[in-house]
Amino acid sequence: MKIIEHYYGADLSWVEHYAAQIGGKIEGNFIILPEDSQTGIRYFLDCGDGIIAYYIDVEYRRNFQLIQKNLNQDFVGFYYNLTEGEASVSSGHFMYNVGRWQYNLAVIDGSLESKYDVVKGSKTFALCIFIKKSMIKAYAKKNNIVIQNIDSLVDSKENTIVRFDRMSSESFHLLDDLRKLEVGGAIFDLNLRGTVHLLISNYLKKIATKRLIMQTVNNSDLGNIINVQMYLINHLDDHFPSIQYMAKMANMSESKFKSLFKKITGDTANVFFMENKLLFAKELLEKKQLTISQVSDQLHFTNNSYFASKFKEYFGLSPKAFNKQL
Amino acid sequence: MRKVTHYYSLTPEWQLDVVEQLNTKLIDNKIIFIPKEIGKGFFYFSQVMDGVSVVYADLTAKEPLKITRLRSDNELYIFHFDLSEHINLIKINNIDYQIGAFNQLDLAILDNQIESSFKPAVNERTIALRILIDKKLLHDFIKKISLPESSFSSDTPGKKAFYHYGNIDSNSILLIQSLKTKPVEDLSFDSFLKGISLKVLGNFFNKFYETKDTSTEITDLESEAIEKTKDYLMNNLYGPFPSLTFLAGMAGMSASKYKSLFKKHFNNTPKNLFIEEKINLAQKLLKSGEYSTLTAVMYELNYTKLSYFCTKYYEQLKRKPTDDFVKKHHRKNKKVT
Repeated sequence: MKIIEHYYGADLSWVEHYAAQIGGKIEGNFIILPEDSQTGIRYFLDCGDGIIAYYIDVEYRRNFQLIQKNLNQDFVGFYYNLTEGEASVSSGHFMYNVGRWQYNLAVIDGSLESKYDVVKGSKTFALCIFIKKSMIKAYAKKNNIVIQNIDSLVDSKENTIVRFDRMSSESFHLLDDLRKLEVGGAIFDLNLRGTVHLLISNYLKKIATKRLIMQTVNNSDLGNIINVQMYLINHLDDHFPSIQYMAKMANMSESKFKSLFKKITGDTANVFFMENKLLFAKELLEKKQLTISQVSDQLHFTNNSYFASKFKEYFGLSPKAFNKQL
Repeated sequence: MRKVTHYYSLTPEWQLDVVEQLNTKLIDNKIIFIPKEIGKGFFYFSQVMDGVSVVYADLTAKEPLKITRLRSDNELYIFHFDLSEHINLIKINNIDYQIGAFNQLDLAILDNQIESSFKPAVNERTIALRILIDKKLLHDFIKKISLPESSFSSDTPGKKAFYHYGNIDSNSILLIQSLKTKPVEDLSFDSFLKGISLKVLGNFFNKFYETKDTSTEITDLESEAIEKTKDYLMNNLYGPFPSLTFLAGMAGMSASKYKSLFKKHFNNTPKNLFIEEKINLAQKLLKSGEYSTLTAVMYELNYTKLSYFCTKYYEQLKRKPTDDFVKKHHRKNKKVT
């Protein structure tokens, strides 16, 4: 196992030290690592306004332990982590598994020392966003947001922010879109900055609506609900499985399943399924390999017009119009 | 008709003038709500990053309104994305351009040095996103954009100054559509708008970086089918040319579609390709020394007239079959027909 001690920050001063620690070198905005320890892309970008984005799309070739000890503790890190494999974040008194099907959004105060363990063979796709605390505070003040205890939230002495959560499916698809782009260059920078802003917007929306905090849910219940989610994502081609079936899969009563699913994902199971189906349909259309009716058939819509009306309802644009202007 | 004049800058101060003319208030240096007697809606301004700002308008005018943008010395380009479901007018150099999703032409790129005016349709909801970009920032993009100018609509008379008129790509439409439903008072709106603007710009440049590649218009399934027919042709070089109808049937397309796709894919017609390959094979057979006469080779490849074979051979290889012919050594074995 390779153990690395490093620090992050809301400016780019951490990059050099970080690269040296993990044994890589900096080329432009990339951090290049030797093939035998990990393959893929690491890319950092200063988004202005005290916001740094760090894009990671790598496959680990050996076990890694990254210990984060920050010199400058005036920032908060947002870690959108879609690792397929085994990874966990731990600190003195807690440990959480993170990854696509675990907690995939962690918000961690810069003042906290934390350890990130990742196992060989894991494929990590992550976007880390570091934001200055003063920015968050100013932002909230400027926009007259009443976030409960905003002062205590950003005051590191009173309270350190540690939150493990599941990102909204909107955020997930933002990241998915970003991943499709070729990294590097001015256009990618625009998209990366755009994505960062949209993610922040999503997060703020979430805070404002005071959705349930994930950590308060019973662990096995959470796992079961996520399993159902995973099942739905893997079966987008099929019909919607009944609530009864899914409740059974999650070992819950139907009413409990329904309410918990809504609390955790923010949508009902049916809406969640349909949304992902439509996004998948859009992706298929983008590839230009299938016609509209082929897509509709493949995803088991009863008929084309139902597909078209659903598509239009969700995207505000008919599939035909979408195809035409691709 | 009510007239409003304004100029643009990357910083918020240009709004003060507009506010005064409309007799309303500026909120947070960002939002201008339109007074009731004119209509309903707002303008939202935000600085996205260094050199990029955005104005988002969502308004329904009660009476005819003309918003004239004066030229200013700020070095800017203005990207105007219009998603209204009806036609608005943009007047540039005294020519009216129709713009709006309804018209399918919904993107205009204007130079800040040229004056233009915008007339939203009365009693309809107008949605427009304007991205202001510093020319310096855009400099290297512009160079690349002006090359594929033809991909824009041809309605660009008088090319003296830089302005364009064209279509928004689907993904950007979806992005801007999603703005429509966001409440502007929401605290997440600002970052949302910034994010959308950047992504829309990204999409725009992406579209023009990619020169139109014709090979992408053929789907994998189709190219697979065409490869299959080509393989079939290559394996049946000894026989006559199977008809086009037969090949098209094999690929599962109409004959005309098959022909045009084949041509796109291989830069050659099926028949021509077949003959070329046949002649190449003939050369191989001639050199192999397994045949005792030219006629034997000719029959082997299903030609019926030696002269025709020779002509084709010469046409393609610029040499006569006899030049390549290696006669079979005298042996007892019977030659293959």
